[in-house]
Amino acid sequence: MTAPGPRTFALSIPSRLEEMHAVHALVGEAVKEYGLGEELAHWLELTISESMINAIQHGNCCDPAKRATLKISSTGDVLEIIVEDQGNGFALDTIADPTDAANLLKPCGRGILIIRSFMDEVDLTRSEGGGSRLRMVKKISRVNGQ
Amino acid sequence: MSMTLKARRIDDVVILDLGGRITIGEGTLVLRNQIHKLLDAGDAKFLLNLADVDYIDSSGLGELVTSFTTVRNKNGQLKLLNLTRRVRDLLQITKLLTVFDTFDNETEALKTLK
Repeated sequence: MTAPGPRTFALSIPSRLEEMHAVHALVGEAVKEYGLGEELAHWLELTISESMINAIQHGNCCDPAKRATLKISSTGDVLEIIVEDQGNGFALDTIADPTDAANLLKPCGRGILIIRSFMDEVDLTRSEGGGSRLRMVKKISRVNGQ
Repeated sequence: MSMTLKARRIDDVVILDLGGRITIGEGTLVLRNQIHKLLDAGDAKFLLNLADVDYIDSSGLGELVTSFTTVRNKNGQLKLLNLTRRVRDLLQITKLLTVFDTFDNETEALKTLK
């Protein structure tokens, strides 16, 4: 008999920013379950939060009838995070570079950059339901959970 | 924990001691409203002390930028003090370190606002 693998964490929320507390709580549970260190936990919470806010605001246009979903799983030394929305989709390469001098003083547009800077893999596809599916992978060291 | 903000004044410089989490929603609104209120009262020199800020998201960064441009458009100055390592990392990643004057020492920062 083999031991059960690490838990998978998932939630689905209406597209309201007020629901983000549930996202933070779920990330906290996953961090505890996977034994991740404080530094990794911080950046994981930030990047997952950024991706869920993108799904709510830009994907679903804050329509509470549309849902944003999150799945966090771990296989060995790899974390996989999947965020899906029910919007019209977008392409990562169409997002303006927020570090370009013309965009530096704009108040928004930095979320994907932050996500890409922390995650080892980021790819965006169409989800089965027609919205966007953002898949992020983070490789972790089990020496110190960082 | 939500964002905390306390204002103090040294000569004509307003120092805003920020703490907690500067995130989308309430945290960014509190900062925006405070800056507008102080600008309307005639203040023009601001130092944002981020020593106790332990979490900031892209909306929080955006609010720092908005505060900077709002103050600059009124011919004022806004500078940053005591960045934590994580906040500095984010400003580095987003190249916002090229926008803001940043200081690790309040006295030195105040000298540049004279």
